[in-house]
Amino acid sequence: MDVWLVATGGICAYLIVTVALGVIANRRLAPNLEDFLLYGRKTGFVILYFTVVATYHSAFAFLGSGGFFYTHGIGFWVAGSWTVLVGAITYVLGSRIWALGKRFDYFTPADMLADFYESEAVRVVVAVVSVGFTILYIQVQARGLGYILSVASGERISFELGTLILMVVAAGYLIAGGLRAVYWTDVLQGAWMYVAVWAGSLVLTYKLFGGPLALWQRVAVERPDLLTVPGPEGYFTPGMWFGLMVVFSFGIIIQPHILIRYYTAVSAQTIKWLGATTPIFLMTLYIPAALVGLGGALVMPNIEIADRIFPEMLFNYAPAWLTGIILAGATAAAMSTLDSILHSNMTVLTRDVYQRYVVPHATPAHYILVGRVIVLGLLIVGYLLSVRTFEFLVVLVALSGAGALQLMPAILGVCFPTRHLFTRTGVLAGIGVGLATLYLTLVVIPHPLSLHGGVWSGSQTSSSRSACHAVHSRQRLRQCGVFTANWSGSSTATTAPPRSSLNYNSSHRKSALARRVKASLHRRRDCSNRIT
Amino acid sequence: MPDDNRGKHSGHAPGEEYPNYRSHYRPRTRDGRIAVLLFVALFALTQPPFVHGVANRIAPWVLGVPFLYAYLLVLYFALIAVLIWAKRRGV
Repeated sequence: MDVWLVATGGICAYLIVTVALGVIANRRLAPNLEDFLLYGRKTGFVILYFTVVATYHSAFAFLGSGGFFYTHGIGFWVAGSWTVLVGAITYVLGSRIWALGKRFDYFTPADMLADFYESEAVRVVVAVVSVGFTILYIQVQARGLGYILSVASGERISFELGTLILMVVAAGYLIAGGLRAVYWTDVLQGAWMYVAVWAGSLVLTYKLFGGPLALWQRVAVERPDLLTVPGPEGYFTPGMWFGLMVVFSFGIIIQPHILIRYYTAVSAQTIKWLGATTPIFLMTLYIPAALVGLGGALVMPNIEIADRIFPEMLFNYAPAWLTGIILAGATAAAMSTLDSILHSNMTVLTRDVYQRYVVPHATPAHYILVGRVIVLGLLIVGYLLSVRTFEFLVVLVALSGAGALQLMPAILGVCFPTRHLFTRTGVLAGIGVGLATLYLTLVVIPHPLSLHGGVWSGSQTSSSRSACHAVHSRQRLRQCGVFTANWSGSSTATTAPPRSSLNYNSSHRKSALARRVKASLHRRRDCSNRIT
Repeated sequence: MPDDNRGKHSGHAPGEEYPNYRSHYRPRTRDGRIAVLLFVALFALTQPPFVHGVANRIAPWVLGVPFLYAYLLVLYFALIAVLIWAKRRGV
């Protein structure tokens, strides 16, 4: 049987299963917003595990990582350090985000930040950053899907049609079953992706080299430059190593499609187990990618586009049935990220925009309907962005990887409050300065001093917030002085004044909510136990 | 009662103490301190200058695998072990 027929058949079989899961999820759907958007906040460990790892690993991990090993050698093994860091961040940050979400009914990152910093401007800016940068990933994943289906069918299905088919399927099961459908399909996609990468790389390695150890020996003899850093093209300098580690750990975790998943866990213990064990999946997926990339550098040294090394090797050296399974796995990798981004953007737009500013007091059924319409809108926008080339998109995609990183200091300020809380001005200024720095260090002067632009922008975000805090501290001290003079002269000087009489603004409006959050975090374990 | 602690506890109204404040970044228990120290120390070994210095070599081979690859693989699994240990100890 022809390779293209088997490959396309494998992808079709996979699509049928995902659609079936969407239909079943729809029958289980409860008519409330929390169930549609957050799986009712009752996701257990296994489902949460697979959805987080499948969402984290996109088409890039499946195709791009092999290309990186192919071009730059073993330096891409830095991926292990950022995946381990993802686990640690999930462990310490995720459990706190979960506790706050459960306590205060948060649905989105903007919910949490706007509530804590008591600012609608923060809500709007965070929502815009959340949607603006992740919507570009829709384009990236959709293009990957179109490419995979086009390659699998031997270009019998055009790139545009392939993109449309796969996007419609992803949007379809999301509309039908909400986050439940996304989670269930993610379990399938995560497992399929992992098995496919390992199976494909081992079959290729044994067939071409006689096993992984023989492959390493041949690479050492023929391409020793691939086995040390910074690699043949000098890409993995110390600054780039450190920068990629920061951007692909904090930068991804802070993105709404990952962060919202923390709200959905059934307990804090689930999140902690998730943090402790996700690096096993995330990190070990790069082991077969290294075998594919390094092996490809030996047997197909002159390939034009490095990211195509895995499918090219499959078509040339693997049996047809295996090629079909693996390309279906690549489809799963891209779709699991695409559906999660569609869902997170739907949640942000429904919750932070529509419910907040357009129709505040409607029924849950109304919001669910609006959410579904929003998914259709995102589908159209994502498709148009995928099949047409816009100059500005090239710049925005370059920025998107580290865009969400600008929210990190504000989120840390909520989850790990210090004596001196960030102000809302500081948060807004930090995001603004951070994004401007990101543009400068990724587009105008890429990676100054060989340090990744994301690190430059992240440090600027933090320092801007601190600077604003210092300014506010001075203002506050002056206000305190005025207030104390007035208050001491009054007849009630021996009793504490009512809160409403305080002539405080800026950082001092923090507030009942801030103190409640702090207290909640101080008593985190008690809180978790009570809630669970 | 004038506020003598203005500026120290900026999240609170004058006269309102924030008793027994401890940084959220500091581990609260002995196991927590061990886990954090171990994780940070091992993680530092996966970063420059260690990776680009002493570990940046092909030989000696470790179980048929080049040194840099094996060095990082061992450290990554050690870091995962620290996380699992921390969870099992209830950190």
